[in-house]
Amino acid sequence: MTREVKRPLGLTPGALIGLMGRHVSFFIFAFLAIIATLCVRNFAARDNIVIILKQSAIPAVACIGMTMVLMTGGIDLSLGYIVGLASIISGILAKTLLLPVPEVVLAVLLAGALIGLANGLITQYLRVPAFIATLGSGYVIYGLAQIVSQGSIINRLPAGFLAIGRTDLFGLPSAVFVAAGVALGFHILISRAIFGRQLRAFGFGPKAAALSGVPTARINVTVYAISGTLAALAGLLFTIRVNAAQPNMGGGVFTFEVVTAAIVGGTSLFGGVGSVAGSILGVLSIKIIENCINLLGVSYHLYLAVQGAIILLAIIVGNMTNRRA
Amino acid sequence: MPIAHPARRAALFLLPLACFLVLGSLIPHFLDVSNLLNVVRQSSIIGICAVGMTYVIIIKGIDLSLAGLLAFCPMVSGMLMLAGVGMVPSIAAGLAAGIVMGLFNGLMVARLAVPAFITTLVVGQISQGLALIVNGGRSIGAFPARFVFIGNGSLLGVPLSDLLLILFLALGFFIQRKTALGNHINALGGNESVLRQEGISAAKVQFFVFGFSGFCAAVSGLLLSAQMDTVHPTQGDAYQLDAIAACIIGGVDLAGGKGSIPMAVAGALVIGCLRNALDLQGVHPFIQNIFIGSVIIVIVFLGGVVRRRNELATRGTL
Repeated sequence: MTREVKRPLGLTPGALIGLMGRHVSFFIFAFLAIIATLCVRNFAARDNIVIILKQSAIPAVACIGMTMVLMTGGIDLSLGYIVGLASIISGILAKTLLLPVPEVVLAVLLAGALIGLANGLITQYLRVPAFIATLGSGYVIYGLAQIVSQGSIINRLPAGFLAIGRTDLFGLPSAVFVAAGVALGFHILISRAIFGRQLRAFGFGPKAAALSGVPTARINVTVYAISGTLAALAGLLFTIRVNAAQPNMGGGVFTFEVVTAAIVGGTSLFGGVGSVAGSILGVLSIKIIENCINLLGVSYHLYLAVQGAIILLAIIVGNMTNRRA
Repeated sequence: MPIAHPARRAALFLLPLACFLVLGSLIPHFLDVSNLLNVVRQSSIIGICAVGMTYVIIIKGIDLSLAGLLAFCPMVSGMLMLAGVGMVPSIAAGLAAGIVMGLFNGLMVARLAVPAFITTLVVGQISQGLALIVNGGRSIGAFPARFVFIGNGSLLGVPLSDLLLILFLALGFFIQRKTALGNHINALGGNESVLRQEGISAAKVQFFVFGFSGFCAAVSGLLLSAQMDTVHPTQGDAYQLDAIAACIIGGVDLAGGKGSIPMAVAGALVIGCLRNALDLQGVHPFIQNIFIGSVIIVIVFLGGVVRRRNELATRGTL
C-alpha cells in the first residue's frame, strides 16, 4: 500500500524516490523513450512508432493475464506454450476445417480458458505450487501442440480470419485496437470493480482476505483461467500477424518477455500490487528496447540478456523504494 | 493412520525397482549391459543437476536457471578452448561462471528476498542470452580429444560420466549428512527458527545452496558437451524439467525441509530409464515430456495429500 506522507512541497531525495517508486513504470518508459529518441536514428519516425505499437499489442494482451496471476503471488509459466497451442488450433480450425471466423475465435479462446482453468484448479485444489504446476502443464501443452500440428506449419490463412487483426483503422492494424479494448476492460475490472479489490486483498494476504469473506478459491482459479484465455487471444493475434499457425510460437521466450513487462510495469512479485496501465507501459518499454536493438543492428540475442538485466534492475529498484516506504 | 515413514521410504525405493523390472520385461534390449551403461551415462547429466537442485528444494526454493547454465558454462569453456586456452583453465572458467551465476541467485534470494523461481528464471534467461550471443546463435564443436574423453572415456570399464555422478552423489550425501552445513540446510527448510536461535545466518546457507546448484549445473553442462563434442546454445532446455522431476520422483518435498540426495539420484535414474525405454519404443520426446510433466504434477499432488493426512492425524481430527 502506498503511504501518503504530507510534506511541504520540496523535492527531497527521499520524496523523489518515493514518487518514482509509485510511478516507476512510467519513469522507466519515459526515460527509455527519451534516450531512444535522442540516440537512435529513425526511432521517432512515424513508421517506427507504428511498428512498436504493432509489436506491443500481442504481448500486452498476454501481459494483462500474467499481471493478474502475479498479483495473486503466483506465476503462469505455461503462458507461452498456450500461445503455441492456440496458434496451431486456430490454423487447423480456420484453414483445414474452414470453420466460420466467430466459431474459430470462440473455440480458441475456450481452449485457452480450459487450460487456464486446469492450471488454476491444480494450484488451488491440489495445492501444487504455481511455478511447478504451470511448468509441468507447460511441457504437456507444448507436447500437445507438437502432436496436433505433427510438426508442420499452416500458412496462407483465409482472408476473413486474417481480417480480425489486420484490418487497417486510422493507419494502425485492428490488433492494436483489440489489445486496447482488452486493456480498457481489464483496467476497469482491476481498478474499479469489486473483483479487483478482492484480487489485491488476496494478493496481500490470502488468510486475511479469506477471513474477511473474499472468495479466495474462486479468485485464484479465475486469474489462471483469464491468463489462459488472454494467452490464447495473443496466440490468435500472433498467428494473424505472421499469417502462419505454428506450434513453436510463443514458448518460454514469450513467457519471459511477458513476465519482464509485468515486473517493469510495477507488478510486485510478492502479490497484491499491479495495474493494467503499468503493465502496458512495461510492454512498451521492453518493446522500445527490442526496437532499438533492431535499429542499431545489434544481435537479436542481446534482447534476451538485456531483458534479464532489466527485470533485475526493476526488482532492485522496487525493493529499495519499498524499503523506504 | 498417518502414512508411516518407513512405508513411504520403501515405496520410494520400490518405485524405481518396479519401473526398472517392468521396463526390462517389456522392452527388448533394455536390460543389455551396453544399454544399461548408456542409461546411466545419460542419467548422469540429470543426476548431477538433481544433487544441487535437491538442496535448493530443501530450502524451499527452485532452480530454473539450469536450462541457461547448462548451455552458458560449456559455451564459456568451449570458446576458450577453441581460442587456444588450455583445457584445465577453460574448464575452470566454465565452472566459475556457473558458481558466479548461482551465487548471484543466492544474493537475490538472501539479500533482496526475491522469490527463487523469479531470480533463477531471470538468471537462466540471461545465461541463455549470453550463450546465444557469444557465437551468434551457432553451436561450437571439435574440442580437444582430452575433453571429449571426459564425456566418452571410461576407467576400468566404467564410463567416466558414471564415476562423476557417483562422486557428486557421495559429495552431496556427505555434505548433507556429515557436516554442520548439511544440518543448517535441513534446518533452513524445515524449521527456520532453529537456525535463528543458533545464531546462524540463513543468508550464508542460501549463498552456498544456490552457488552449489550453479556449480552442479556447470559440471553437468560441461559433461554434456564433452559427451556430444558440441555446445549448442539451447542444449539445456531439455534438462530443466527432468532435473526437477528427478528430485520430485526421489521424494524431495517441495514444501521444504525433506529430501535425500541418493533418492534424487535414483529419481534421475528413473527418468533416464523411462526416457531410454520410450526412445527404444520410438515414442517421440514431445510425448515423453507430456508424460513427465504429468508425473510431476501427480506426485506433488500425492505428496500434498499425504502431508495433509499426516497433519490431520497428528492433530487427531481424522
